[in-house]
Amino acid sequence: MTTATAGIRKSVRFRPGRTAAWIIIAIAVIATVFPFYWMVRTALTPTADLVPQASQLWPSSPTLINFQRVLGLASIEESVAAGGTGASIDFIRYTINSVIYAGSIAVIQTLSCAAAAYAFARLRFPGRNVLFGVILAGLMIPGIFTLLPNFALMRELDLLNTMLGLVAPALLMSPFTIFFLRQFFLSLPRDVEEAAMLDGVGSLGRFWRIALPLSRGPIATMMLITLVGMWKDYLWPLVAGNSELTRVLTVALGVFQQQSPNTAPDWTGLMAGATLSVLPVLLILVFLGKQLIQSLNFSGGK
Amino acid sequence: MKKTTPLAALGVASLLALTACASGSDEGSADAVTLDYWLWDDIQLPLYQECADAFTEENPNITINITQTGWAQYWQNLSTQITAGTAPDVFTNQISYYLQFVQNNQLLDLTENVEASDIDFADYKEGLAERWVTDGKRYGLPKDWDTVALLYNVEAATEAGYTAEQLSTLTWNPEDGGTFGELVKAMTVDGAGRDGLDPNFDKSDVVRYGYYPEWADGAIGQNGWGNFAHSAGFTYSDDEGAPTTFNFDSEPLIETGAWLQSLIEDGYAPGFDEQSTLGTQAVMENQNVASTITGSWMASTYLAEDAPVEFGFAMVPEGPDGRTAATNGLADSVWAGTEHPEEAYQWVEYLASADCQNSVGEAGLIFPALDSGTEAALEARDAAGFDSSAFASVADAGETFTIPAFERSAEVNSAIQDAMQAIAQGADPAERLSEANDAVEALFK
Amino acid sequence: MSRTMLERTGSRAPRGANDSRVVSPGPSRLRRAEKWAALVLLLPALLGFVVFYLYPTVRGVWYSMTDFNLLNDPTFLGMANFEELAADPQVWDSLRITAVFAVVNIAIVMVLALGLAAFMQRLNLRNWVRSLLLLPWLVPNVAIALIWGWLLDANVGYLSQLLKSVGISGVSFYNGDAALGIIIVISVWSGLGYTALLLYAGMLQVPNELYEAAALDGASETRMFFRVTLPLIRPVLALVLVVSLIGSFQVFDLVQVGYGNNPIPEVRVIYYYIYQQAFSFYNMGYASAIAILLVVILGALTVVQMRLMRANRSDLS
Repeated sequence: MTTATAGIRKSVRFRPGRTAAWIIIAIAVIATVFPFYWMVRTALTPTADLVPQASQLWPSSPTLINFQRVLGLASIEESVAAGGTGASIDFIRYTINSVIYAGSIAVIQTLSCAAAAYAFARLRFPGRNVLFGVILAGLMIPGIFTLLPNFALMRELDLLNTMLGLVAPALLMSPFTIFFLRQFFLSLPRDVEEAAMLDGVGSLGRFWRIALPLSRGPIATMMLITLVGMWKDYLWPLVAGNSELTRVLTVALGVFQQQSPNTAPDWTGLMAGATLSVLPVLLILVFLGKQLIQSLNFSGGK
Repeated sequence: MKKTTPLAALGVASLLALTACASGSDEGSADAVTLDYWLWDDIQLPLYQECADAFTEENPNITINITQTGWAQYWQNLSTQITAGTAPDVFTNQISYYLQFVQNNQLLDLTENVEASDIDFADYKEGLAERWVTDGKRYGLPKDWDTVALLYNVEAATEAGYTAEQLSTLTWNPEDGGTFGELVKAMTVDGAGRDGLDPNFDKSDVVRYGYYPEWADGAIGQNGWGNFAHSAGFTYSDDEGAPTTFNFDSEPLIETGAWLQSLIEDGYAPGFDEQSTLGTQAVMENQNVASTITGSWMASTYLAEDAPVEFGFAMVPEGPDGRTAATNGLADSVWAGTEHPEEAYQWVEYLASADCQNSVGEAGLIFPALDSGTEAALEARDAAGFDSSAFASVADAGETFTIPAFERSAEVNSAIQDAMQAIAQGADPAERLSEANDAVEALFK
Repeated sequence: MSRTMLERTGSRAPRGANDSRVVSPGPSRLRRAEKWAALVLLLPALLGFVVFYLYPTVRGVWYSMTDFNLLNDPTFLGMANFEELAADPQVWDSLRITAVFAVVNIAIVMVLALGLAAFMQRLNLRNWVRSLLLLPWLVPNVAIALIWGWLLDANVGYLSQLLKSVGISGVSFYNGDAALGIIIVISVWSGLGYTALLLYAGMLQVPNELYEAAALDGASETRMFFRVTLPLIRPVLALVLVVSLIGSFQVFDLVQVGYGNNPIPEVRVIYYYIYQQAFSFYNMGYASAIAILLVVILGALTVVQMRLMRANRSDLS
C-alpha cells in the first residue's frame, strides 16, 4: 500500500511491466516494418538471384537495375533481361496526378464541409434537422453503390479519364467530415461569436473570421485524413481515370502488375514499384509525422 | 446514350468554376493519328512493334501505340475500358471471348473493307478466317494459330527410362491414366530419391512432381484438362454462340476431373495451394515439376539456348477417342467506338498482310495465320534447331479440336474455372460440375 | 446513427440559437439574413450531395430494375434482378465471406489495438516510434497486397518458408481454407497501428485523478483498464467501430490486387462480385441490385450498432 501511494505522483499508469510493454511495442514495430524491409530487399535483388536467394536476408549482389527499369531508365532489352517486359511507371507524372487528386479533394472538400458544418451547428434555417439527418444517412451508403451511377454520369458527360471527372464526386462533400466538424463547432464557446454579433458582424463573417481560424486544428486534421484516404484510393481512379494522363500512383502500380510477363510475374520490378509508391508516404511521415500523430490524438480524443 | 440531364450539367458547370484543374483528353489533330493497339503476350511485343514501325514508315500520319497486358487481366481490363468508352482502337482478339463483344455491338464490322481489299482467305490457314464471321458479318482478320503439346524435362524423362520416341506414343485414359499416367509417376521423385512407382514412395515429401496441371484455364482447359477430356469424348456444348445445352456435367469431364484430382491426392501433381505466383515457367525451370501441357507460342522460350534446363515437346497423349490437341486462332479486331475506323482497319489489314505476318513468322515464336508466315516460322525453328513436330504433326494430321466460342464468355469462364479449382481442392467432381453446368445453362435462358 | 445525432441537435443547438435571439436586435431581419448565410455556406456541400449522392442513389435504384449494361439503353425489368439475386448463391457466399472478414478483422484489430494502446499508455513513446506504427495505414492497399503476395508465395515467399521451417504449411493465397484468414491477417496488420493510436489518444483524455483514485482503492491494473479506461473511451470505440465496420464491408483492393484480378471463390468479397458483375460481365443493372442489398444491410447494421453502443454518450461528460 505504501509503495503504491509513493509511486502515485505521475506514474500510476505505468507501474510494473514496463519491460513487458517495451517488448510488446518492439514486436509491434518489427512486425510493422519487416514487410517493408523485405520489399526493399527484393527490389534490390537481381532477378536471377530471386529464387536461389529467396531466404537470404540481404542479396549477395544488390542492384539498382529494377528501379532503373521501373522508372524507364533502362532499355527494353535490359529490362527484359532483368525479368520485365519493358513496361515502366512514369513515376513523376503519376505522383503529380496523385498529389492533384488527393490534394485538391482534401482541401476543397474539407473547406466546403466546414462551411456546411458551421451552418448546421450555428445557424437557424428551416429543415435543418431533416437535412442533416439525410446527409448523415449518406454515411451508410457504401461507395460502390454511388460509384456505378457516377461512372455512368461521367461517361455521359465525357468526363471519364479527365482530372475533373476524377475528382468531382468527392470534391465537395463527405458526410463524415460534415459530421465531425459540426461536432467541433458545437463544442466551441459562443462568447466570441456573440460579441462579434453585437458588433454587427454577420453570419458569414463570423464563420470566416472567427470560427474558421479557431478551428484550424480540426480542419487540418480532416484535411490530412482525407489526403491519406484519397492517396490510397484505388477503385474509382481505376475505373474512371485509367488513362495515361489521369492515372494515379495506386492504379499505376496495379497496371504495372498487369504488364508482368505472362508466365512469370516480375516480382523484383513490382517490389521496386511498390518501394517507389511508399517513398512519398515516408516523406510525409518524416516531415509531417508529428502533426499526423497530433491529428490522430485530436480526432481520437474528441 | 448521351443525354445530359440539366441537373448534372448544372453540377458540372459549377465544378468547372470551382476547380482550375485542366481536363486532359488527347485528341489528335486531323491528319496525325495515334492508334492504340493491345496484346497480351510480352514475348510477341517486340515483333509487333517491328510491324508497327514498318507500318508507320509506310503511313507516316499513323502512329501505333502498343500496350501489353498480362493474359490474366487482359479481358477484364478490356471490358472496363470498353464500358468506359476508352478501349483501344485495335486489339488482339481470342475466339472464346469475341462473341460477347459482338453481342454488345463493340466490334466494327469489317465485311465491306475486306471485300474492297485484295485479301484472299485461301492464303490463310484453313478454317481460321471463317471463325470470325457471325451472322454474315466479319469481326476480325486472322492473326495466328496455335496448338498445344506436352512439355517435359528431358533429364527427368530420360532418368525415368523414356525416349523421345516413346513419349510420342503415350496413351491416356481417365481410369488409370494409361502410359501417360505411368510416365507422370515415373518422373515424380520424393525426398529420398524414390520415384512415384516405388511402393515406399512418400507422397508427403515430394521434391519433383510428374505433372503440373493448369487450373486457371477458364471454361476451355486449353492448357490441360480440356485436351484430356476431349480425347475421352467430351464436347463443350450442343452448339456455339448461345447454346441451350452444355456438357460440363458429362462423364468424360467428370472422370478427367477425378483423375487430375487423384494425381494431387497421390502426390504426383502439386496441390492447388502449392501453386506459385511465379508461374508455370518458373516451376518448370526450377524443376519443381517435370511436365505440363503448354502452347506452341511458348516453345521458343522453353527451347531457347539460354534456358536453364533442357526441355522437349511431345504430342499430347492419345485418349480413348483419339489424339486431340486444342487449337485456336487469334484475330485483330477493331473496336466499334474508335474515332479512326479507316486508319484502324488499315492497321488491321497490315497486321494480316504478308509483310507483317512473314516478318513475325521469321522470329519463329508463333505460327502466323498466313501460310507463308507459318512456313517462315517453321523454317526459323528448324534453323534454330527447335523441334516443332509435336505441334505441326497434330495439326497436319487433323488431330486437333478448335476451342469453342460462347456468348457471355466471361461468366461461363468464371463458373467453370471455379468448379475446376474446387475439384483441384478436393470437391466432388460430379457434384461440382453438375452445379456449374446448371449455372452456365441458366445464363442462356 | 442519424437518430442519435438528431437527439443531440434537438437538445443542444437550438438552446444556443435561442440565446442569440435574446441578445440580438431586430430578430426578424437578422433571421432572414441568417437564412441566406446558411444557404451560401451550405451550397457547395449541398451541390456535391445532390449531384454525387442523391442523384446517383435515385439512378442506382432505377438501374437495379433494368438490364442496363452501360452499352445499351436500359429496359425496365421490374423486380427481376432482385429475384435473380435471391437465388444467386454467389451473392450470399460473397456476403457471408465479407461478413466473416468484417467481424473477425474488427474483433482482432480492436482487441490487439486496445492492448497495444494500453501498453503505449505505460511508456512515453517518441513520435518516430508512433510514426512507424502508422506506416502501414499510410501505404495504399495496392502496394500492401503486392508486398504480402510476395512474402506469402507458396514456393519461395520468405514468410511461407519461415512458417514451413517451423512446421506450419499451407499458408498460401491459393489454399481455400486459409485464404480468407490470410487476407484478414494482412488487413489487421495494416489497420492495427492506426487504430491503436486512435484509442491511445482517447485514453490520454481520461483524467489522471480517476486512476489515482482507483489506485488508492487498491484496484489492480487490469481492473483499472476494465473499470476506468474502457468505459471512458467508449465514444472513441464507437466511432472506430462504425467506421471500421463500414470500411471492412468495402474490402476490395487487397483481394483484387493480391490475386492479380483472379481471386479464388473463397475470398470473393461482395465488392469484388459487384465490380465483376458491373465491369466484366456487363451486368450493371444486376450489380446495382446487389449494391442496394448492401446498402440495406449496412444501414441496418449501423443503426443496431449505434443503439448498442449508445455512441455519443461518454461517462466522462
